[in-house]
Amino acid sequence: MLLRRRQSNAFILPPANSQMSLPDNHSIAFATAHRIVGFAFPLVMLPAYLCAEPANIRIDPKIEEILGFYCTDCHEEGTEKGKFRLDNLKELPLDGLLDVMNRMHEKVHFEEMPPKKKDQPTEQERKQLEDWLAGVLEANNSSKLADKLRMPAYGNKVDHGKLFSGKYKDLPGFTYDRRWLVSEFIFDAKINKLLEFVGQRDIDGKRQPVIGENNRNSAKINLTNPFLLPTHSGVRYYDTTTLDGGHLLTMLTNGKELSAYMMTRAKGRTYVPAIYAIMGKEWEQEKILTDRATYLKAGIEPLLIEVFKDKHDSLLPKFTATKPSPPVKVGPDGKPVNLPGFDYAGMSAEDREKIWAAIRRYSQDGKMDEAMIVRSERDWVNEGLSEREIVVRVNYMRIYMDEFFRRMPKTVPAAPKPPAEAELAVMRAALLKHRKAGDNYSTLIAKCVGDWSDEFRREREKTGVSDEQIGHLVDQLFNRIIERSPDSQEFAEYSALVKSYLEKSGNAAAIEKLIQTLFLRTDYVYRHEFGEGNADEHGRRMLSPRDASYALAYALTDSSPDKELAAAAASGKLNTREDYRREVERMLKIRSQYYIIDESVELLSADSFTNIPIRKLRFFREFFGYPRALPIFKDNKRFGGDYISVSGRAVSEADLLVEHILEQDKNVFEKLLTTEDFYVFHSGNNEQMANSSAYVRKIYDYFKDKDWRNFDGLKLKEHLEFLKANEVRGVNPDLVAKSTGGKESMGGFVSTMSSYEDLLGKGQANAVPFSSTPGHGKTEAMTRTGKQMRGPEIAKSFNIDLKNWNYPVTQPTKMAHRKGILTHPAWLIAFAANTETDPIRRGKWVREKLLAGTVPDVPITVDAVIPEDHHNTLRTRLDKKTKEEYCWGCHERMNPVGLPFEMYDDFGRYRMEEFLEHPENLLEKRPDKGPPQDDLRDIFKTLPVDASGHLEGTGDPQLDGDVKNALDLAERLGKSAKVRQSIIRHAFRYFMGRNETLSDSKTLIDADQAYVQSSGSFDAVIISLLTSDSFIFRKPATN
Amino acid sequence: MKTRRDFLRSTALGVGALSLSPCLKAFGAEAPANRFPKRFIFIRKSNGEPPPALALPTFSAAEKALDEKKQPLEVDLDKHELPAWMNSLAKHKENLCILQGLSSKMSENGHASFSSVMGAYKSNGNSLSGIKRATIDFELAKLFPSPFGHIELSLTGDYSKFRTGIVAGYSASGPHQRNYCYADPQTAHNELFRSVTNPGAVDTDNSMLKFLEGEESFKAGILQGYEKLKLSNHIHSIEEIQARNLKLSKMAGSIAKHIPQLDKIHANGGASATTPEKHEAMTEVLIAALITGLTNVVTYTIDDLGTPIFGLPGNEGDRISLHVIGHNGSYSGVSADTIREKVRIGHMEQIARIVERLKAEPEGKGTMFDNTMIMYFPENGESHHGLGLEAPFIIMAGNNCNLDMTGRYTRLPYHATEGHKTLGNWYTTLLNAHGNPIKHYGDLDIEMSRLKYDQMGAISRFIA
Repeated sequence: MLLRRRQSNAFILPPANSQMSLPDNHSIAFATAHRIVGFAFPLVMLPAYLCAEPANIRIDPKIEEILGFYCTDCHEEGTEKGKFRLDNLKELPLDGLLDVMNRMHEKVHFEEMPPKKKDQPTEQERKQLEDWLAGVLEANNSSKLADKLRMPAYGNKVDHGKLFSGKYKDLPGFTYDRRWLVSEFIFDAKINKLLEFVGQRDIDGKRQPVIGENNRNSAKINLTNPFLLPTHSGVRYYDTTTLDGGHLLTMLTNGKELSAYMMTRAKGRTYVPAIYAIMGKEWEQEKILTDRATYLKAGIEPLLIEVFKDKHDSLLPKFTATKPSPPVKVGPDGKPVNLPGFDYAGMSAEDREKIWAAIRRYSQDGKMDEAMIVRSERDWVNEGLSEREIVVRVNYMRIYMDEFFRRMPKTVPAAPKPPAEAELAVMRAALLKHRKAGDNYSTLIAKCVGDWSDEFRREREKTGVSDEQIGHLVDQLFNRIIERSPDSQEFAEYSALVKSYLEKSGNAAAIEKLIQTLFLRTDYVYRHEFGEGNADEHGRRMLSPRDASYALAYALTDSSPDKELAAAAASGKLNTREDYRREVERMLKIRSQYYIIDESVELLSADSFTNIPIRKLRFFREFFGYPRALPIFKDNKRFGGDYISVSGRAVSEADLLVEHILEQDKNVFEKLLTTEDFYVFHSGNNEQMANSSAYVRKIYDYFKDKDWRNFDGLKLKEHLEFLKANEVRGVNPDLVAKSTGGKESMGGFVSTMSSYEDLLGKGQANAVPFSSTPGHGKTEAMTRTGKQMRGPEIAKSFNIDLKNWNYPVTQPTKMAHRKGILTHPAWLIAFAANTETDPIRRGKWVREKLLAGTVPDVPITVDAVIPEDHHNTLRTRLDKKTKEEYCWGCHERMNPVGLPFEMYDDFGRYRMEEFLEHPENLLEKRPDKGPPQDDLRDIFKTLPVDASGHLEGTGDPQLDGDVKNALDLAERLGKSAKVRQSIIRHAFRYFMGRNETLSDSKTLIDADQAYVQSSGSFDAVIISLLTSDSFIFRKPATN
Repeated sequence: MKTRRDFLRSTALGVGALSLSPCLKAFGAEAPANRFPKRFIFIRKSNGEPPPALALPTFSAAEKALDEKKQPLEVDLDKHELPAWMNSLAKHKENLCILQGLSSKMSENGHASFSSVMGAYKSNGNSLSGIKRATIDFELAKLFPSPFGHIELSLTGDYSKFRTGIVAGYSASGPHQRNYCYADPQTAHNELFRSVTNPGAVDTDNSMLKFLEGEESFKAGILQGYEKLKLSNHIHSIEEIQARNLKLSKMAGSIAKHIPQLDKIHANGGASATTPEKHEAMTEVLIAALITGLTNVVTYTIDDLGTPIFGLPGNEGDRISLHVIGHNGSYSGVSADTIREKVRIGHMEQIARIVERLKAEPEGKGTMFDNTMIMYFPENGESHHGLGLEAPFIIMAGNNCNLDMTGRYTRLPYHATEGHKTLGNWYTTLLNAHGNPIKHYGDLDIEMSRLKYDQMGAISRFIA
C-alpha cells in the first residue's frame, strides 16, 4: 500500500496508476475505510502555497454522474439540506474539501445517504463513490472514518443483517496484533500482585482473600489508578485507549511510592533476593544502628553511670522544673470545665507509656505529688524532650492522674535485653568519646549513631556492586514487574542503566530508580497480544502461547494467568483451539476465589462480592449500566425516606440477581429481560435472612402481650434473663441489670418494639428484619460480610409497604409489576435524572443495546432541554418538544421504546398517576423525618400515566408493534432473536475489546448458535467466543 | 441561549473529561508575555465555620437583625470593624470580602467533605468512584498553567501526631482521580524545590526519562498505524515532562533566591514542631512556590479534625483535638469557643502573612498580590457536624481581581429561597471570570431543584 504523508496543506492524490485493492479479508466495512483507490484520479495536485485557494478538484465523470444523480438534488445551492452542499466541491479550499469528503465518506459507508425514501445507488455505484472518497482522504492522510470505526459508539454501524446472514461466514476471522492498555481493574490487580497485597473480607463468617481491593490503607501506600474506564453503559473496555500525559504524570508519582514500598518489602529477603543481596549489608548495619539506638534510648542511664561514674550528674543538662499549676476545674465563667475524656485528650501511645513508666519509678506507694512530677520532668529533660513536650506530659499527669493510676497496665514492659558484651563495649566507647557536658541523651545518641553510620558506610564502600549482582537484579525485577525475563538486549541495556544509576546515587536510590524505570515501561501497562509462528494462507498467526495465556486470563478475570494457565503456556499446551477450550471451561468453573465487585457499593454498607469469574458478571453489570444509579444524587424528601443507603442496596441486589441467573446458566438473556423474581432487602443468604426474621418474631412474640408500651425501667428488668439471652436492639442488659432497672434503654426498647409491631402486628408470617434504631453494633440482619443490613426502604421502590409486608425470607421472589432488569429500581434510577425520569436515555439504551440500532448524537446546535410545565406530565412535555419534524427523525428511535418505562417514577416505583411536583401543586405536606416504614413523600396533584409505546426493529412481525407498557415491551424483547444477537454482539466487543466486522460474522453466528443449542448458556457463548478465529488468530497491524 | 455547541466549545470539562492530556499541558505552557497569571489559594479548614463568628461587631441594629435572620445584606467594610479574631486582616480591608450565605449541600457535610467541597458533588464517603469531576482548583490551574500546575499541601493528623510525607490529598485532577499532597513542610520543601536542593536526583530522573524515551521510540519505530500512535503519544508525554524538568532547572537560580530556610525542627516530618510552627513553615513554602512561579494554584488543608493543635498560645500545655472542641470540650479552663477563635486567629495570621509577602513582590506596575485570590472556607459547612446550609468564605483579592466583591461584607439569600447561591454558583463565577464560560460547575442543589428555583450559572453581582 503506497501512501504519501500529507505535507503542509498540499492536496495529495493517490498514484495515478495504482491498482485498487480488493476488500481485505479482515472486513469489508473496515477495509473500505482504509482502502486507497485504484483507478486514475483526474485530480490535480496543488502546491502548498495554494492551500487557501480552491482545491479546484477535477472529478471523474462517473463520480460526478453518481453525485449528480443521487446527491446534489438535495445538496446544492438553494436546497442545501443539512446546510450541506455538494455542487461546489471544486470551489472549496483544501481543508473545507477534506471536511466535506469525510462527512460524505461516513454517510456513504453507513448507507445513511441517500435517505431510504429516495432512489438508492446500486452496490457498484456506492462502492465506486466510497472508493473515490477513501482514496483521496487516505492519500491526504485525512481519513477520519477508520479511527471512528474503532470507537465503541460505532459498534452498531456494521449492518446487523449482514453479520448474521451467513453470507460472510467464510471470511476468516482475526484480530490485529495489538497493545491493549490495562483497565482500572487489571491495574489494581497488577499492583496488588506486585506488592503482594491481598485484600480480605469476612464472608459468611470466614476470612477470605479477595481480588479487586483498591484500598491499600493498611499497607500505607498511596497509589492513584490512572487507567479509568469511561462510565457509560455497555462495553467500556476497548483496545483503543492510548497512554497520555495524564497517565504518565500519575505513574511517575506512583513509581516513587511503589519503589519505596518495594524496597521495604525486599527486606524480607525472599521478595526480590537480588535487592537483598545488594542491600543486605546496609540493612543489617541499619538494624545494628537501630538496635543500638533503641537500647540506648531505653537504658542509656545505667551505661552512662557505669562509664562516667560520679561525674555523670555533673554532665547532665541543666534543669529547671516547670512551675506547678493546679488543674483547672472551673472556667472563667464559673462553670465546670468540660474536659475531654482520657481517650480523647490527644495523647500519643508514647506519652502514655512514658507517664506510666514515670509513675512506676517514682510513685511506688501509689501516690502522686509534685515531687514525683518534678522527678519525671528531670528524666524527660535528660532524655532530650523539648520544653513544650514536657509541659504537655506534665499537664496530662496533673489532669488525668487518677485515670493513669486506674488504667495502669498490669504487665510491666520488659526491660531491654542487654546486647552482647562486644556491643556494649562499642556503646560505652562511643558514649565516652562523644559525651559533652550538658548533652541530653537524645543528642548524645544521635552523635553516636552518626559516627557508627559513617563507619559502616566507609566499610560498605570498600565493596561495590558486582556485575553478577546487577544481572540478578535486572532479571528478578523484570520478572516481578514485567512478569517475564528480559531478552539479551534488554538485559544488556538495563544492566548498563543500573550502573549509570549507581554512579549517580547510592545503592538504594539506584534500585528504586530501576524499579521506577521498569514500572514506567509501556509493557507494564499495555497487554500484548501478538501472533507467533507461521502464517496461514490468510496471513494469520496464532496468538503466542504466553500472550494467549494473558488474553484468556484477562478475558475472565482481572489477574494474570493462574498457575495452571501459565503452566499450559509454558509446556506447549496452549497451541490449539481445544487447548483454549479446556482452559476456558476450567476457569469458568472456579468458585474458590472471591472478587470485590464495586467498592462504592461497599461504602454504602451493602455487600459487593462474587465468586464467579468477575468479568462474566461485570459484562452484564456494564451492559445494563445499572451501577450508574450510584452517582445519581437524589432527594430524600422526594423519595420519602433515606435514599442514600437505598442506592447502594439497589445496585447490590441487582448484582445478586444477575449472579443468580448466571449461576443457573439457562436462558440467561431471556431471564435477565423478563424475570419476575427479585431480591428485595436480602443478603443473598436465605438461611441467614430466615434466622434474622425469626429473631424479630421471637422477640415480638415474647413481649407482644406484655403491655410493653407502659413498661418502666423496673418492669423491663423483670425480663432481664430474656434480654440477656436475646439481644434487643437499643437495649443494654448491663444497664437493665442495675438496681434502678433499664430506664436508659426504654427509648430503644419501645422504638424497637413499635417497629416490630408494625412488621408483625397485622398477622404477617415473617418480619422484614430491619433496624429502626440507629447506632453501631449488631442489627436485626447483617450482610454476608458482617455489616449492618441497611436500606430497607428499597422496598418502597418496589411499592412495598414495610408495615404490610409478609417478608419473603427465600429470595429471589416474585414482585408485582416487574419484568426483568429493565424494571429493577437500580436500572430505572440509573437511567433517570435527578428529579425526573428520562425516557430518552431509556429508549436510547433499548435501541442501541437490545435492538442493535443507532441513534445519532444530539446535534450540537440543539438545546436538548424538556420545557418546564407543571400542568403536564413529562410525556406530554417531551412529545411537545420532540415531535417536531427536525427532532422526530432521531427521537422516533428512542421515545416509543423509552416511554413505556413511564409506568415507573425516577425512583423505580410503579405508578399509574404521575405527581406534578411543583409547590403550586402541593396537596399534602408530610413530615420530613420518620422511621423507615413511614412514607414521607409530599403529595401533589397528579395526572394519569400513559406508558404506551411502539416496538419496531426486532425484525419479527409477531413482536413489532404497539406495546402497552414496559412489561409488554420486556416480554417481547425477551422473545426476540435480534435482541439475543444484539447482546451477543456486545459480548463479542467485551471479550475482544473491539468492534465486530464482517469478518467476525462466523464468530458471532457460532456464539449465537452455541447459546441456542445450549438452552441459553452464557458460558457456552463465552467458550465459543474465546475459541473463535477472531480471538485466536492475529495479523500484523498496518497503516 | 447557550447551546451544546457553546458548552462544548467553552468548557475545559468537555475536553478534560475525555482525556487527561490537559493536565500535562497545564504545567507546560507559560503565560503570555505582558500578561501576568492569576493565582488562587484555597485554604480549607475543618470543624465548620459558624456564620455568626463572621458577623461584624459594628453592624447597625437593622444590619444585625438582617444578618441574624439570614436576610440578604451588603455593607462596606471600611465603615466597620472586623471581628476581633480577624484583626490581622484589618489593614487589608480593601482586599477583603466576607461572603456569607453560600450553601454546600451538594457536597458532603457532617464531619468531613473530603474532595467534594471543591468539586460540588457527593463523594460517597471519599470513595474513588465518588469523585465525580476535577475539583475547582484543578480547573483553575488549567486556565493558568505553571511548571507544577497545581500544588496541594495539608497539615492533618491522627489526633496525637501529624501525617508526614506525600499522602492522599483532597483535590481531584479528574473523575475518580484522587490527588496527592505534601503533608509536612519539609517534604513540600524537598519536593518543590528539588531542582535547587537536590539537583542530583533531578539528573537521575532525567536519565530515566531519556532512557525510556529511547526505548519506546525504538519500539514505535517498527510499528505502524494505530499501534504506532499508542506509543508515540506516550513518547510525546515523556518529552513534555523532560521539557518541564529542563524548565525547572533553568528556574533554579530564581528559585534559589526565594527558597525558604526551614528550621531543623521540621526535619523528618517534624514530629515535635508545634502547630503554629508547622503553619508558619508551610506558609513560607506556599509563598515561595507562588513567588518562584512553580505554581499558580495552591490548595492548603490547614487542618482536619485529626490535626493535633499543639503549642497554641495560652494552651501550650495541651494537645488539643479539634474533634473534642467540636463537641464543646475545653482545655486548661479555656472554652471550646475560645479555642476555636484562637485557632482561627492563627489561620488569619497565616493569610495576612501571605498577603503581605505577595504585596511586597513587584509584578508589572503593581505587586503579585494584585493578581492573587485567597479563599478561606470550611470544608464541611457551618458547624462541627455541618449541614451545608451555609459555608462562609473569607476572600482576599488583589487590585486586578476579575471579580467585584472586595471591601464588602455580603450576605446572599438563604438556602432554598429565591436568589440563593450555592458553591456551584460560586465556582462557576470563578471559572467564568477567568476564561472558562462553563454554564454551571458542579451538581445542583436538590432542594432548590424541588422548589423550582433557578440555580444555574455565575453570581452575576460579582462579575466585574
